[in-house]
Amino acid sequence: MFLNRLSRWLGDTLMYALLIGVCVFMIFPFLWMVITSLKNADEIFHIPMILIPAHPDLHAYIFLFQQYPIIRVTWNTFIIATLGTALSLFFCSLGGYTFAKFRFPGQEGLFSFLLGTMVIPGAVTLVPIYLIMRDLKWLDTILPLIIPGAASAFGIFFMRQYVSTISEDIMDAARMDGAGEFTIYWRIIVPMIAPGLTSLGLIFFMGAWNAVLGPLIYLKSPQNFTLPLVIRSMTGPVGRTVYDTQMAASVISIIPLLIIFLIFQRRFLEGIAAGAVKG
Amino acid sequence: MLVAADSTGKTRISSSKPPHSLWKEIVRARWSYLFIFPFYLTFLIFGLYSTLFSFYLSFTEWKGLGPIKFIGLKNYISLFKDKVFIQSMENGFLLFFMYVPLMIFLALVLAVILNSKHVRGFQFFRTIIFIPYIMNIVAAGFAFRLLLNQKYGVVNNLLTGIFNIAPIPWLESVWGGRVSLCLLIIWAWLGYNMVIMLAGLQTIPSELTEAAMIDGANPVQAFFYVTIPLMRPVILFSVVLSLMGSFNLFNEVYILTGGGSMNATITPFVDIFGQAFGNFRLGYASAMAYIYFIILFILTLFQVRYFGSRVD
Amino acid sequence: MQSGALDAFKAQYPNVEIDYVETAPTDMYQKLPLALQAGTGAPDLACVESSHLAQIVALGGLADLTTQVQPYVSQMLASKWSDAILDGKYYAMPWDSGPVVFYYRRDVFAAAGLPTDPDSVSQLVATWDDYLNVCQTIMTKTGDDCFANNKANNYGRLYEMMLWQQGLGYYDATGKVTVDSAQNVATLEELKKFWDANLLSDQLEWTDGWYAELAAGGTTPVATVGPGTPVPPTVKPVASLVEASWMGAFLKGWIAPGTSGLWGVAQMPAMVAGQARSANDGGSNLVIPDQSQNKAAAWALTEWLLGRPDSQVAIFKASDFFPSLTTTYTDPIFNEPDPFFANQITRQAYIAAANIIPVGYVYGPNYSLMNKYVSTAIQKVATGAASAQDALTEAANSIRNDTGMP
Repeated sequence: MFLNRLSRWLGDTLMYALLIGVCVFMIFPFLWMVITSLKNADEIFHIPMILIPAHPDLHAYIFLFQQYPIIRVTWNTFIIATLGTALSLFFCSLGGYTFAKFRFPGQEGLFSFLLGTMVIPGAVTLVPIYLIMRDLKWLDTILPLIIPGAASAFGIFFMRQYVSTISEDIMDAARMDGAGEFTIYWRIIVPMIAPGLTSLGLIFFMGAWNAVLGPLIYLKSPQNFTLPLVIRSMTGPVGRTVYDTQMAASVISIIPLLIIFLIFQRRFLEGIAAGAVKG
Repeated sequence: MLVAADSTGKTRISSSKPPHSLWKEIVRARWSYLFIFPFYLTFLIFGLYSTLFSFYLSFTEWKGLGPIKFIGLKNYISLFKDKVFIQSMENGFLLFFMYVPLMIFLALVLAVILNSKHVRGFQFFRTIIFIPYIMNIVAAGFAFRLLLNQKYGVVNNLLTGIFNIAPIPWLESVWGGRVSLCLLIIWAWLGYNMVIMLAGLQTIPSELTEAAMIDGANPVQAFFYVTIPLMRPVILFSVVLSLMGSFNLFNEVYILTGGGSMNATITPFVDIFGQAFGNFRLGYASAMAYIYFIILFILTLFQVRYFGSRVD
Repeated sequence: MQSGALDAFKAQYPNVEIDYVETAPTDMYQKLPLALQAGTGAPDLACVESSHLAQIVALGGLADLTTQVQPYVSQMLASKWSDAILDGKYYAMPWDSGPVVFYYRRDVFAAAGLPTDPDSVSQLVATWDDYLNVCQTIMTKTGDDCFANNKANNYGRLYEMMLWQQGLGYYDATGKVTVDSAQNVATLEELKKFWDANLLSDQLEWTDGWYAELAAGGTTPVATVGPGTPVPPTVKPVASLVEASWMGAFLKGWIAPGTSGLWGVAQMPAMVAGQARSANDGGSNLVIPDQSQNKAAAWALTEWLLGRPDSQVAIFKASDFFPSLTTTYTDPIFNEPDPFFANQITRQAYIAAANIIPVGYVYGPNYSLMNKYVSTAIQKVATGAASAQDALTEAANSIRNDTGMP
């Protein structure tokens, strides 16, 4: 009896130890980011290691705002993420709804074809898309960052699955009342799929906010940069990497997403789970 | 007998007579086409056309300016002799085997623990473990660079202080670079995989494991003989995703190791990007992308086959 | 930096507005070609290092400056023009050169019982083998590393200097790849001797550790440029550094100002006695993208800054970037003693070095690619993963494969 309890206690302890250990591993880099952003220059690379800065202050942040157009950059990041998400959600929900609730010639083929293309790695279309953008003179604008992504195969698949769970009675009723197709979509379907839109939207938003490759290729002028790009640009010039400023920028880039995530946790995780389990 | 066909194209009442012309069908379904049009137009341009154009480019030599020179299979032949590309493929494999088994196993274990009823703070743990996934990789990469700094990084300081080990060149050496990369990836993706596993676990009725345990199995055995087989589809999904992930690593590589000593951490995507936007060998990069695509495709098929055929 | 010259220009041309943007080199070499390719987004005037100039010229998209630079062709160091020319047309205006010299720490040499005046030191390190012996002495007597040359992540710059001084390079005048030639292999093996004898520091250039050992033993901690990273006091100094003249300005300005008075400048060791004791490392040029809407103004600024001796001298004074404009060499500034170098008249040393730079075959339209492969080869040799012959042969074949050169 006692041994049983002991082994259970041991098991539990191990379990919690593992959980806590993993949590520490997960949190520590972020903590270190914050701490470093508050340190003085000589405390960052100090032997012996300094855990808590002696006089934490915001000088790195001040320097950051003075030397870089951070407000503008944050705004850029926000706009790109928001517009991109809105466009993607619109295209994918409209398309997903259609595939879920309508029958039309070529439907199977069109959809399967789409799914098939999910296998193609982004590397293949990297150059042609760049060339298209160049010829359209869309370089150094936000357009390359929001338009190609709107045709997300994952998104339309997700939406189709989601919409298919909705009963059709309301749609029929609306049609009998003479409502136009688009009105049905906009006024009836969209509100009904709001949770799914939120989940998918969060995934898109996060992806766009954190994106580096697209901004790297397409954004040239420093005032058009996004946050990840700015962080990246703080390294390398002949001289020293300004670590505390870089960490300050990193913290700033993470906080908005962190807040959004903490608020919409459930939806977000649902979206991820749904995308995976059905896939 | 009434035949009611509405704009959704569905016939409502039974005993229908199919419309006798395809054109009529299409016209009736015009809203459908309209609705999928924005999506498909975008897809056609940036998906299909781009893929095909890339294929065409792979048989040419072009710097992006000036005339496009058709050179047939020369790019593909050169690829076979390209040591760096071959190494990048090897690196993709290597990295995959280095971190995927560990990460997926850990994700599964964590998911099982959290899924079991008697863990308190489920929400808390799940949130914390997931959080790295939402951090942008640039910020994370630089943070890791600081932590793994050979002389001043926290990790080496701790190791030296506690275990008295000489400072490890995490970022500067061949294997150190690879391990560092794996550490970063596991840190970033463990939570994501755990959440997926959790979702999968929730589809498994707990009666099954309970039944196994009543039959005399201990929790560990139940885990291996009941849970894992049932989770196969989810595990497969994670593995396939991770495979594509490891070959596609880009930012992580540049930020942590800059490609690594002797190209130790270069991945195919890094190589393709470098050839396209560094050397401006657009034709060559396209050929590389296609070979990469084919290899990845075969590997994915292989994995599905392998996981699908494991009988339990 | 060149604010003095810029101000003078603005005074002369009050209608021209100048927007000066600093870009990190790695970003620059990605963005400029992309912008040139795209036909949009390039600045009116860009500064390109000689190492990358030929590649950018070959890409297309630069304005043809042949007529504008004609009056200056004979006034610039001859070696500067080869990268700027394509099909007989000129596409760039040279700014500064990087004549390579031998920087050494007088205090370390003194501690090792060696002479510290430049002439004696030049004699001491007449060849690379002599340099090897000097390093041994320094290591035995003081325990200090001789110079820094990283193994696992080597950039290849020192090796390139060693090739350049012999009139060699990655290819030859006929366009044949020479990366695996007997002489190139021998040069790498010479470098390897230093690694094998454990005389070198493993710091990678432009990293904090590298800065630290250059600044070590100074009277004050390393200065920082804005928020930065200083040096723990236990770092040992490095005894020497073979680098281009612009390094002197960096040492003085921000890497090691606390070591003022402790440095000297001597001649770079020759490979073989009697051969050239100088090479070129770096140097920059100004180019005007063809898409610019302000080409005339851009050229006016270029000519003002780089074609007039007084501007070049002013820039030189502020930055120590050694001017390619030879007509500046008569300026009295070149006779000034430099307190950082214990009052040595370093600029004369730079002129002497600049005048004997041989024609080298390191830079060129495929430089980045060649440098990348050869750097990997050097890394393999340094870490013992391959022999010099094997590593260089592999690199050479990759280069041949990629470029189609024989």
